[in-house]
Amino acid sequence: MIFRENGQYAATYAKDMRIFRLREDRVAVAVLLVVAFVVVPLVANDYWLSSIFTLFLIFSLAALGLNLLTGYCGQLSLGHAAFMAVGAYAAFNFAVRLETPVLFNFIGAGLVTAAAGFVFALPSLRIKGFYLAVTTLSAQFFIEWLFVSFSWFSAGSMMGAIDTPPMRILGWAVETPRDKYLLTLGVVTVLALLAKNLTRGEIGRSWMAIRDLDVAAEIMGVRLFPYKLLAFAVSSFYAGVAGALYAFCYLGSVEVTAFELALSFRLLGMVIIGGLGTIMGSFLGAGFIVLLPIFISITVAAFATRGLTDFLSNLELIVFGGLIIFFLIVEPYGLARLWHTTKEKLRLWPFPY
Amino acid sequence: MANSTATTAQSGPPSSVAGNVKPALMQLEEIELSFGGLTALNRVSLDIRSGEILGIIGPNGAGKTSLLNVINGVYRPQKGRILFQGQDRTNYRPHQVAAQGVARTFQNVGLFKGMTTLDNLLAGRKSFIHTNFFLQALYWGPALKTEVAQREKVEQIIDFLEIQAIRNTPVGTLPYGLQKRVELGRALAAEPKLLLLDEPMAGMNLEEKEDMSRFILDANEELGYTIALIEHDMGVVMDICDRIVVLDYGSKIAEGTPDEIRNNPDVIRAYLGTDEN
Repeated sequence: MIFRENGQYAATYAKDMRIFRLREDRVAVAVLLVVAFVVVPLVANDYWLSSIFTLFLIFSLAALGLNLLTGYCGQLSLGHAAFMAVGAYAAFNFAVRLETPVLFNFIGAGLVTAAAGFVFALPSLRIKGFYLAVTTLSAQFFIEWLFVSFSWFSAGSMMGAIDTPPMRILGWAVETPRDKYLLTLGVVTVLALLAKNLTRGEIGRSWMAIRDLDVAAEIMGVRLFPYKLLAFAVSSFYAGVAGALYAFCYLGSVEVTAFELALSFRLLGMVIIGGLGTIMGSFLGAGFIVLLPIFISITVAAFATRGLTDFLSNLELIVFGGLIIFFLIVEPYGLARLWHTTKEKLRLWPFPY
Repeated sequence: MANSTATTAQSGPPSSVAGNVKPALMQLEEIELSFGGLTALNRVSLDIRSGEILGIIGPNGAGKTSLLNVINGVYRPQKGRILFQGQDRTNYRPHQVAAQGVARTFQNVGLFKGMTTLDNLLAGRKSFIHTNFFLQALYWGPALKTEVAQREKVEQIIDFLEIQAIRNTPVGTLPYGLQKRVELGRALAAEPKLLLLDEPMAGMNLEEKEDMSRFILDANEELGYTIALIEHDMGVVMDICDRIVVLDYGSKIAEGTPDEIRNNPDVIRAYLGTDEN
């Protein structure tokens, strides 16, 4: 590797328990944050900021929420797109009806969604695995139906179509793609840090214990039901905030179809490809699912000649599907694990003994 | 033989027990457990005394593991009482039992396979962590302080069990013998008043069995934990246990010191069969 970790001893447990134990990692993360907060907004054009970076961040956040539930606590959910919808419509209603501050709307959206997740988590007391997945599917259908059928949620407009009102945070008008990107980035950074903290502490260990062996977890003193409910609530909170950001910072005008079942499956795909039970995997998975098709289509378009467009658009899907299968065969535990093993190998390189 | 001691311990609260018999930490009284028509435990009474190593033996299907599950609160007995430190706790749920200080290992390693050794041991300290959600989300102040304190405690156990090298290894990738050791560590991390071990030596080679026996004896003598263990290796059981209880077809057929058990005709019959009938 380009650096060695020799000589970096953690003298206290608190230092050993830091998120980034190595100085080089901390520098790398600091650089990454500077790039994300300063360089990208300065360099990137509106298309890149909005259609690529903002979208990527929003889906990372949604995947992160699902990862807390599925990857850490082991409870499968097929209703996360619907929870995003709850967040989007809740934020909309806060903004339109109560005209509360933007950040309050987002947090409120998260809390409302957490409550919804809590309700749909109640079956997890008695059932688990595939059966629980099917009950979360009911959340998906019920919530979609709710927003389409009752125009109260969309402030009177038909079929749940809403236009998000303009945002203003303490005099900062969040209008341009750059503003929206920065707002999204800020929210995602904070929530990702909180998620990391939760998962490395007692709550995260209890969730993982439930995931790995619930009987043993219970005998070690973990109360299963409250912790499962908590996982659903926190996970839904993340989904709700992601949904609100999706509506306010990316879509602008929203219809219920933006949150259909296919999106739930895409989120699940992100979590599995990225790596179950890792924070980083949520970002890698979202990157894979959201960004790869865009890059493939750009690449393909570069070779495009007239008359082949139909063939090429199918080729995109073929390449994308093939890559998903390829990466899952190479590393069934996801991209995060791939990154981890690469790092372990590079630690010893070039003398792997 | 053993009946006399058993009745003394049952006849009153622990403090009234006279002589050199240690007070009972846990008392099971007339436990009956059945699944449908199948009787798993039939009026089983036994004491686990403070500071002892109690062996629970018996042929396959005798109800040994069911007995541990009853103690842990995984199964609720249809009849009978369970007293812990003199208090009735028959219908406690597993997490309540854990909070009282009962820890346990499993027949086929019950570790959290996706977690590292360190996290598994820390999970064992669940009952000692009482910080709220928001502090944990911030990983700050009391939450951080508790985490560090638990880590210190867990490091002592890591030293005790000599598993420093595998601290950050996911336990699913460890060899079987080490997994058993980590599992013992997780139970020890709970600083249990009563430690239940379900076949701690199953599937181990001689050397691993010796190591494990040493850890169990150390846990008993140095750390002072009361231990009840199920084991099939008679050599180990006879060597390390203070007393032995024998189960057969859900009933207790004998109780006593290793020497008494070795010569008990009922036990010999249960294990070797008899040509009388």
